[in-house]
Amino acid sequence: MTPSPELIHELRASRPSAPADLRARVREIASEQPTRAPRASWRFPVRRGMLVAVPAAAALAFASAGVLGLARSDSPEALRQDALEKSTLQAAVPETTGSGADAGRAQTQPAPLTTDDRAQRVSATLTVEVKDANAVSHAAQSALDLTRSLGGYVVASSVATGEEGSASITVRVPVAKVQDAIAGLSDLGRLVSQQVTTDDLQQNLDELARRESVVRTQIARIRARIESETLDAQTEAVLRARLQTLRTELTSIRQGLAATNAEARMSTIQLAVVTPGALGAIAPPSRIDRTIDEALNVLAWEGVVALGLLIVLAPFALVGFAAWLGRRFYRRNEEERLLAT
Amino acid sequence: MTIDAPRPLETTRPTFATVAEELLDDVYGYLLYLTKNWAVAEDLTGETFEAAFKKWRRFDPGRGTPRAWLLAIARSTALDWFRADARRRKREERAGAAERSAELATFGEGFSAELAESLQSLSAGEREVVALRIVLDLDGEETARLLGISVTAVSTRLSRALSKLEERMRDHDAVA
Repeated sequence: MTPSPELIHELRASRPSAPADLRARVREIASEQPTRAPRASWRFPVRRGMLVAVPAAAALAFASAGVLGLARSDSPEALRQDALEKSTLQAAVPETTGSGADAGRAQTQPAPLTTDDRAQRVSATLTVEVKDANAVSHAAQSALDLTRSLGGYVVASSVATGEEGSASITVRVPVAKVQDAIAGLSDLGRLVSQQVTTDDLQQNLDELARRESVVRTQIARIRARIESETLDAQTEAVLRARLQTLRTELTSIRQGLAATNAEARMSTIQLAVVTPGALGAIAPPSRIDRTIDEALNVLAWEGVVALGLLIVLAPFALVGFAAWLGRRFYRRNEEERLLAT
Repeated sequence: MTIDAPRPLETTRPTFATVAEELLDDVYGYLLYLTKNWAVAEDLTGETFEAAFKKWRRFDPGRGTPRAWLLAIARSTALDWFRADARRRKREERAGAAERSAELATFGEGFSAELAESLQSLSAGEREVVALRIVLDLDGEETARLLGISVTAVSTRLSRALSKLEERMRDHDAVA
């Protein structure tokens, strides 16, 4: 509803004027000059300050992360960490370890493996890198041909073609030919890793042989007693039972000797043929990479600290904000109540 | 707003005496409308200018006009009076006073009987917004900032107050 112009006019015409005594009183108040010249009050502009402070804090965080990252990228700790990571990555591809008497190492030439006068179990794991998937098939076939030429045989073979071809072959070759086999297989491509394990079996063989001799001697003695002596039925029965037990044991010993000898005669070689894509070449990180890594670490820690501060201060900020809201709400309600009369 | 360092403003800033002389009627009129009592309005006006004189050094012309600043101080002074008056009424009620102290509800000279009587029927809040928007001719934004409410709330309150005023004025004319 639009108010009538007459009402507006009357209201404005009735505009009060301060009485003379009040005017005099106010003049008296205003006449008391301050001792100092008035200065403009200055209040910190909160909004403008926030617009400057927040980007400045973010820039400072990034700048400090960058400076610290650059400073730490060449520190001994960073280089040591880099070397550790490199060695860890390279350890994902088997390195040469030895658990037996003669351990080999990752190199292009086969290490000396066996001792001629002792029975030994020899096993080797080789990883060879060829240039592409076509070369994988060729290398696998060459490995099989080499094995047969050395008097060995194939235990298992698996060849995968495609963009990143690979092959996995397990062969057995005579121990006397194992060095030739490793050398030949290594030449199929770039030897990435080589692991050779040699376990001595001679001690086991000697023990079995000694035991065989003992058992045979016992058997001979018992046979001689049975044949030459006049024994009562019970004694003969006991001796014959004992003889049977010894014969069973002798059979077992001879089987163990045969198995150990067979194990010592043939070595086991596991060959893996890979392409560069399958292996995954890992370039060492540059200074820039290390700087970025360190800078990101610093940023992460700054974020953790900021988050921690936020978590600690958030309840207080919430309480303060709630108190401010409550006070503002109370004052607003109080004013409306007072002015409603 | 500026983040420049404080500087003396003798040449760009009016003196308090000038401001007081210029705005005395506005402050008095506002307080009269608020309290509907010329004696109380006079006292509160004096208190307002005393408080303003003490705070004059902190007044920043960049943040608002001297009139808005003075009216804000006047409003605060008036609200303190309303609180004190409310406490006095409660004490009287508790004491079971047979007679309440008479209220000198008079607008004084310059107001017609109809207008004075009609204004008395409004609440203090309604008279306040009439004083600010109509009598002192403050714009909606300035009034809203002073009252701490929205511009829409100011318009609504003003419209309601003027409607009531007109109705009362019509009733008075009809009776007459």
